[in-house]
Amino acid sequence: MIGTEELLAQQLSVWVLLLPLASAAIIALFLRRSGTVAAYLSTAVAAVIGVIAVKLAFGGVRFEIAAEWFTFGDFTLSLGVNYNDLAALMLGIVGVVGFFIHLFSLGYMHDDGAKARFFGGLSVFMFSMIGIVLADNLFMMFIFWELVGFSSFLLINHYCLKDSAAAASKKAFIVNRVGDFGFLIGILWCYQAYGTVSLSGLEEAVGAGAQLTMWVPLLLFCGAMGKSAQMPLHVWLPDAMEGPTPVSALIHAATMVAAGIYMLCRIEVLMVADALNIIMWIGTVTALYAALCAVVQSDIKKVLAYSTLSQLGYMVAAFGLGSLVVEHDGHEVLIAAGVGAAMFHLTTHAFFKALMFLGSGSVIYGCHHEQNIFKMGGLAKKMPITFVTFTIGVFAIAGLPFVTAGFFSKDAILHLAQMKNPAVFGILVFTAVLTTFYMFRLWRITFFGETRSDAAAHAHESPLTMTLPLIALAVMSIFGGYTHGALGFLYGHAFDGVWSQIPHAEGLGVVLLSLAIIGVGAGAALAFYKPAGADALATKAPGAFAGLTLLKESFDTAYTWWVAKVQDRFAMLLNFLEQIFLAGLIVRGLAGVVGLLGLGARALHTGNLHAYVYWFLLGVVVLWGFAGGLF
Amino acid sequence: MAEFLFYAFSSLTVGSAAAVLLNRNAVNSALAFLVCLIGVSGLFVMLDSFLLAVLMILVYAGAVVALFLFIIMLLDMQGGERKPFSKFATGAYVAVGLLLTVGVVSFANATVELPRTNPEVIPAVGATLKNYADQLFTTYLLPVQVVGFLLLIAMLGVIVLSKKFEGLGDIK
Amino acid sequence: MSILPAIGLHHYLIVAGLVFALGFLGVLVRRNTLVLYMSLELMLVASTIALVAFSRFNGTMDGNVFVFFILTVAAAEVAVGLAIIVALFRRRQTVQVEQLTALKN
Repeated sequence: MIGTEELLAQQLSVWVLLLPLASAAIIALFLRRSGTVAAYLSTAVAAVIGVIAVKLAFGGVRFEIAAEWFTFGDFTLSLGVNYNDLAALMLGIVGVVGFFIHLFSLGYMHDDGAKARFFGGLSVFMFSMIGIVLADNLFMMFIFWELVGFSSFLLINHYCLKDSAAAASKKAFIVNRVGDFGFLIGILWCYQAYGTVSLSGLEEAVGAGAQLTMWVPLLLFCGAMGKSAQMPLHVWLPDAMEGPTPVSALIHAATMVAAGIYMLCRIEVLMVADALNIIMWIGTVTALYAALCAVVQSDIKKVLAYSTLSQLGYMVAAFGLGSLVVEHDGHEVLIAAGVGAAMFHLTTHAFFKALMFLGSGSVIYGCHHEQNIFKMGGLAKKMPITFVTFTIGVFAIAGLPFVTAGFFSKDAILHLAQMKNPAVFGILVFTAVLTTFYMFRLWRITFFGETRSDAAAHAHESPLTMTLPLIALAVMSIFGGYTHGALGFLYGHAFDGVWSQIPHAEGLGVVLLSLAIIGVGAGAALAFYKPAGADALATKAPGAFAGLTLLKESFDTAYTWWVAKVQDRFAMLLNFLEQIFLAGLIVRGLAGVVGLLGLGARALHTGNLHAYVYWFLLGVVVLWGFAGGLF
Repeated sequence: MAEFLFYAFSSLTVGSAAAVLLNRNAVNSALAFLVCLIGVSGLFVMLDSFLLAVLMILVYAGAVVALFLFIIMLLDMQGGERKPFSKFATGAYVAVGLLLTVGVVSFANATVELPRTNPEVIPAVGATLKNYADQLFTTYLLPVQVVGFLLLIAMLGVIVLSKKFEGLGDIK
Repeated sequence: MSILPAIGLHHYLIVAGLVFALGFLGVLVRRNTLVLYMSLELMLVASTIALVAFSRFNGTMDGNVFVFFILTVAAAEVAVGLAIIVALFRRRQTVQVEQLTALKN
């Protein structure tokens, strides 16, 4: 018998999944024209989800439930909830950060004409994301995976009258689709190899000694590549900044792109060393590449997008570094350090990246939708709350020791890298320097100096509904790094299952390393970039600038060439075949046959009575012959 | 004697039926039909159905053919057809000839044994009036009632059809 | 006079068949609607001959009674049919079958 607490928890988990769906349905059906009501409804639902997520996490109940959806012979597709510490953590992030972003959107999208569509899309996204978080088997996860992709498509395309937005949303969906193709093959292979796609079922199968191959996890990682924008499927994330800023914050910083990492952590039992190796290198290369590209961006959101890419690379690399042997209470224990480090960084990154995106949203809103940092400046005095919270975010991502959350999570990753793979460690350290470099560049140019445009000159602080989430996220960016002890009030003991897997460095080595990174990076940035109207790198070292810009363009150019030369031609061939066979032969052919039959039947009606009598005679003869046994 | 009478009446019947077919004039055809009916009546007498024989003359020859003649003369057609047959006459002959042949052949090879006995041997059940009435009012009572309705409906139908319909235009 | 075979059922049936065939031929061939209708009646008559013959040779009354009904129905049918032909003549001024082709196509 399950106790009432567990029963309540199970019901709450189903509620938390269905509430945003209900909100989306109500908005879609009834509230299309009432944007304000839709906004409040969506935000209220987000608040309820946040409360439920926190309650479930801290309630301490962990469970697994499933309901059968349909059966095909031996195969059963079931929908269920697998609520362990990992899911609790992710649900908490989605719920809390999601709520704050909804609150922010109330202010940011206040003057937007299509508010209802926006909040409906947000609700659909919450539904899909919670579905991924709670899913207990890979098929269900795949369904919600696609749904998340769809809601991302919806939301990127919010300013649907802009061509660039439409192109960006298409690009995001298609690139995701490529990744999902690998994901699907991986799921099918997994089912074929292990007989189950349920997460707990896989754990049992592996525990019972099933043969692990490196292809299943790699194919499943394809899905993560698409969703979390790893190379080579990273091209959609910078373009996805066409969507409104809250969308960038929620989907493309905190939650959806983290879904790939989350999925990897969920299927951790399937990993083998070869697969982990490849994953690690892909993550590392992505981190480095994105950091290099971020140095030359002039749009505030693009800088943050590349920063997200880079941090995602960190998380993937951390996961790929795998497990570690640590000292625990006197004896040695193998911990899934990769999972711990990646999830920890995911959590802190959600906080400070959402904070920075919302901060940039506040800046953009204040500067009347100006996004070029070289046209801003002097905002430190005009928008104090935004300035302070954004600064906290910058320090968090740079990893200011002990005070900010980013320090602890980055420290865990760097420590793990140092223990396992020095080459990766070196690259990650260099990337950290670059991260500090471009973040401080952004910070300096945006907030300091004199105002460089009219829009910046008329900037004002944002209303409370926008600054409140900033403050809340800033607090979480500071306290989010303490996983236990007195300062760990944010987490309590709710997520110990995950936090216990984090590798902790001993000694001062890491603190000194972090300080060194910040010193070098920030120092270089502050020295090199003065708040000015043009990019200092472009003026002083045009070669380097051009090189870095080319780095960014290369992938897009390659893909465009592929689509134009190869894919379009193949599509034309298919179209040709379709015109002939499907549309021509089958559809119009069948219609033609029916038409011919009709013409034939029509020809019988001559209107001549004698003709009818002859047909009658024929019929009688046939009948007679039949009766006489002729045929 | 019986055979001679039979052949006489049957040739009368078949001959006048052919005359119905071959005559150009519609009135001639109608009168040939009448003669045919007389022949049939004779055949009925030979089959000991006296009531039916008389009814044939009364109803069919007396009412139906008379009605036909009325209508033919009412419609007042100018002359007769130049050629009573259409172009497909040959085809029709061939078709019907085939039909007949098939019928006769299947008949000859019939597996069902038809009685070949002399009619005189079989005692006539006696298609007398008494027997008729017997059957009609017991076994076949329901059909009699239905036929009554049928006649009523036919009468009503004819009355309705004979009305002039105004304002319907011509069907072209 | 017994060189001629005894008249059996076959003979009557052959007569009925011949009359039926001639009636059918008339329907196929004649162009005047009224004569066509008469040929139709000829077919009906042929069936009555057959029925009475069967009834006689089986020793039952059923065939005779059936012919009774056929007579009645044929009379009613002729009345209605001729009324239709008259109405048609009023509309189209013709009873030649070739000119009555309003149901073409």
